[in-house]
Amino acid sequence: MTVIETAATAAAPVRRLAWQLARVREIVTETYRVKSLMLDVTSWQGHLPGQHVDIRLTAEDGYQAQRSYSIASPPEDDLLALTVERVENGEVSRYLVDDLRAGDQFELRGPIGGYFVWTVATRGPLWLIAGGSGIAPLMAMLRHRARRKLRAPALLLYSSRSLEDVIYREELDMMARGDPHLRVVHALTRKQPQRWMGHWGRIDKALLAQAGFPPSQNARIYVCGSTPFVEDVSRFLVELGHDPLAVKTERFGPSGE
Amino acid sequence: MHETPISRGFRSRRQEQTPKDRVPPGQYVTTDFPVLSAGPTPQIKVENWNFALQLGASLLGKWNWAEFEALPQTTIKTDIHCVTKWSKLDTTWQGVTFDDLLKAVGKAEPPAGYIMAHCDGGYTTNVPVADLIGGKGMIATRYEGLPIAPAHGGPARLLVPHLYFWKSAKWIRRIRFMERDQRGFWESLGYHNYGDPWKEQRYDGD
Amino acid sequence: MTENVSDLVLDGNAAGGLLQEIFVPEITSAQIECEACGSTAAVGTLHLYAAAMGAVLRCSHCDGILMRAVHTAHGRWLEMKGARYLRF
Repeated sequence: MTVIETAATAAAPVRRLAWQLARVREIVTETYRVKSLMLDVTSWQGHLPGQHVDIRLTAEDGYQAQRSYSIASPPEDDLLALTVERVENGEVSRYLVDDLRAGDQFELRGPIGGYFVWTVATRGPLWLIAGGSGIAPLMAMLRHRARRKLRAPALLLYSSRSLEDVIYREELDMMARGDPHLRVVHALTRKQPQRWMGHWGRIDKALLAQAGFPPSQNARIYVCGSTPFVEDVSRFLVELGHDPLAVKTERFGPSGE
Repeated sequence: MHETPISRGFRSRRQEQTPKDRVPPGQYVTTDFPVLSAGPTPQIKVENWNFALQLGASLLGKWNWAEFEALPQTTIKTDIHCVTKWSKLDTTWQGVTFDDLLKAVGKAEPPAGYIMAHCDGGYTTNVPVADLIGGKGMIATRYEGLPIAPAHGGPARLLVPHLYFWKSAKWIRRIRFMERDQRGFWESLGYHNYGDPWKEQRYDGD
Repeated sequence: MTENVSDLVLDGNAAGGLLQEIFVPEITSAQIECEACGSTAAVGTLHLYAAAMGAVLRCSHCDGILMRAVHTAHGRWLEMKGARYLRF
């Protein structure tokens, strides 16, 4: 899959969206309640890091449920990866995490969204701030960056409840160890291991100021997570002097289930 | 006719225990009380709250909170049905019935055939008066014995439980009588003008 | 169950699928100007309400409604009287 690296990429016209068939090739367990679904999508035309898809499940009695999930895989990969967190009482997420098997299928349409997008063609340091499952679209950006071997500085601030909740933990460790230009800072909000060297508690203004790029470096900033998380972090960033137009946000809200 | 692929093993968890005689077609019972709003929750202080009945240019009646609370109170237990397919059974509401509002302004008969509900935040919905009289509609101020939470429409919302719940307008402030029917917020954007859940009148054209 | 209503405020990104059924060019990065307050923003940054019934997209500065969209079996509705223009 090739990425078209032009400045106009994010505003490129889109073919009319249509529902396609997605078949589950493999299911990867990320944490005790998060799985990544590796999908084969019939006529997939490619995507940009940060975009999402809508999926639709149909039961035998015709009942349908529809949800949106960010694409976690980079455009360079053949299979499409959706990372799903099982939400309590979540009708769709419980099915996807607990019941879905390789070989199963559902409908999918996308890619959707040209606003919350980053490619290696974008200049400037990359600053990603993730709350919980909000890491998914940002992971697509980091994986794309790694595939393209981009050297420009990048920083991920990633907030999780506990170490067990950190999605892609080993992969992020490996990425950071193999790339001197990438920093990964974890914040654990509820439970920290004995000799925790990362940040304790939520991502606050002080952490953003201390660990982040200063406004003068004009980093492209992407924030993704629950609505309260996104609103707090955006507000802090603007208070710290970052250009509001350089901060892009995507709110996951509650699951909607 | 394009065939929709079935997802093996997927079923709505809400299909369990659906008492058919109480649940309209296409609905699923929930024990939650989902919140759905077309805009930010208005933060209304009851000291500043008032409610009016309006006919043309004239005000038939206007009450502040204390005056409204002093009107005859009625408590009902009823089922509610949202167009997004959830139904909630046996919900208890307390408030002032539409009949008692008419009595309070000295009207033996409703002065027009339709009303538009006007709410804080700008939401509107239209209801035939015939669907409000005879105990069918009220302005509710309590849910399960407690003041209605802002997210659920407090301090006061319209309650017309025999129609889809978008008609039970949150944050109601004014009822305007109309000679001719006019479409409200959702009714003018593809939703059914009347909204009978038992006839599954969700959308315009159903 | 969510009691905190602010959790339910999504953004125009989440309405992308619904809106992309109507618009040919990519919609979430399109600029939209608010009729009420004159501010301009990307559609993806607007505040999205009532996603379960359709989409009500509000200005992130003044909360005025910029776009409303509904998709039913009988057709699609789009209302944009709160917007001065959309620019792709």
